[in-house]
Amino acid sequence: MTATNPTETHAGGRRRLMGEGLGRYIAALGQPKGLIGSGLLVLLVLAAVFAPILFPGGVDQQSRDSFLLPSLLHPFGTDELGRDIFVRCVYALQVSISLVIVAVPIAAVLGTLMGLSGAISGLLGEAFQRVFDIILGFPSLVLGICIVIVIGPGWLALATTIVVFSLPQFGRLARGALLSEQGREYVLAARVLGVSRPKIMIRHILPNALDPIFVQVSLSMIGGIFIEAALSIVGLGIQPPTPSLGTLLNVGIRYVYAQPMYTAGPIIMLLLLALAFNLIADALNAQVLKTRGE
Amino acid sequence: MFGFLARRLPSVVFMLLATSVIAFLLPRLAGGDPAQTIAGADATAEQVAAIRVELGLDQPVYAQYGRWLGDLLVGDLGTSLITSRPVGQLIMARLGSTLELAIAATVLMVVLGIGLGILAGSIRKGAGRAGLDGAVSVLLATPPHVTGLILILVLGITFNLLPISGEVSVLRDPLVGISLLIMPALALALPQAAMIARLIQARMYQVRQEEFVDLAIAKGVPPRRIVLSHILRNSMGTAVVATGIRVGELLAGAVVIEAIFARNGLGLMAVDAVSSRDYQVVQIVVLGAVVIAVLVHLLSEILLAALDPRIRLQ
Repeated sequence: MTATNPTETHAGGRRRLMGEGLGRYIAALGQPKGLIGSGLLVLLVLAAVFAPILFPGGVDQQSRDSFLLPSLLHPFGTDELGRDIFVRCVYALQVSISLVIVAVPIAAVLGTLMGLSGAISGLLGEAFQRVFDIILGFPSLVLGICIVIVIGPGWLALATTIVVFSLPQFGRLARGALLSEQGREYVLAARVLGVSRPKIMIRHILPNALDPIFVQVSLSMIGGIFIEAALSIVGLGIQPPTPSLGTLLNVGIRYVYAQPMYTAGPIIMLLLLALAFNLIADALNAQVLKTRGE
Repeated sequence: MFGFLARRLPSVVFMLLATSVIAFLLPRLAGGDPAQTIAGADATAEQVAAIRVELGLDQPVYAQYGRWLGDLLVGDLGTSLITSRPVGQLIMARLGSTLELAIAATVLMVVLGIGLGILAGSIRKGAGRAGLDGAVSVLLATPPHVTGLILILVLGITFNLLPISGEVSVLRDPLVGISLLIMPALALALPQAAMIARLIQARMYQVRQEEFVDLAIAKGVPPRRIVLSHILRNSMGTAVVATGIRVGELLAGAVVIEAIFARNGLGLMAVDAVSSRDYQVVQIVVLGAVVIAVLVHLLSEILLAALDPRIRLQ
């Protein structure tokens, strides 16, 4: 978070207190919604990270019986090979979380810079807008198919799809901030004082564009998680035997009569992840609007 | 109207050209030598070279693009290198299935989207409003594949109301065909319907602030009539454009939905083609999906301009 948050702003050289910007985001997570959302997220991340310690048997440990109904020992029951579905779902979280934690921040930084690039050269800004237009013209799954063809199915193709899909969302937000801030006095003052264009972009306009971008990071995480599921369900995402929420659903739907939890389990995990990010986005949004007095 | 079209056309043409370039480059970016693929593993270098000349692969890339685009424009979609059948033929064989799904989903999307939007825009307080807002938010945040799987679990397994997979043409057996179509079409339609509902609701709130609504209230027009003929009528433009924008995403959802519900349509064909490296098929499906999305979007804007002179005269 802090990497993209510059500590200085305004032409007078006054240092913005780091705590002021960051404090608002932390305060947002202290609200009921933010607390539940971030608590849920921490829980899911911890479960994913410590899965090998919590379930030392690993994803392939089999019991004697396949398609056992949910019980205390197997909360989601067992699959066609007698493997515990809950354990496989927890391991699958590793894929979803690692994907969005890597891909979305990359998209946020790149997209924001592309959106703000109009501050350096009008032509460059326009060119990136056209690139965003093309990306937005491609429905998300068609985009995913194109990228899978070029890179080959797997984690990298999914991460790339999430980056490309999310780029315009950040680019448009940053562009909007740029257009509304560009004519303000402090920007003109900086320009008159001879501050270089890249410096104006990063030190003066970027800090004023950050709030909606942080909210969008949380929302794009949801999009990324669902893209993994969609492409893996059709077999173009994560490749078996690695369990991901999508690959589990790919197999689970074939056994939906014998073991409904095989489908319901990964769905529950997907919805929990989406809920966590949604609550965080909501809390951030409310807090940002409040401090801005809007 | 011509002025409006002249202003919109450049960006549409740009989008179509950019998409065609991407679709053209896809098989080339994927690597592998199509001539080698056709010739087989134990072909001699001369045979491969001969096929390369036959396919025009010895020419510069821009010349290949020109030839490919020219063929497309006269309706020659190319030949699958894997199955050696014309891509047009392969698509026609699957088109019916996807068309049924797309039509059913679009109808549901428009009906549910506008219906929910009007409801959400008319009810302004109380539990009904909160419930409706919550429902729309949840539908909006849940993508088609997750909606589809939940529908299977609820309607197919728990209540055992509908068959969960397979397909029968509606034309051959309407009853079975429709019962198999309901869940996949709903899954595709619900997220987009929620998006349309949200836009209509927001627009209706906005129109409610306008002075002619105050005037209508002041002169004693009944509330129901204000909503229907004053507010709603001025919000329909948003509904038209919102529908146009969502059609592309709705069509793309078919890729996953067809796989989940075991429907043998174009989406499943695209997925199979990617797996079997049949790039000539994939590039046409990709191009087709984006072209249809762009054209439907343009059509909705033309419709809006026809409805609302302010737009076309801007």
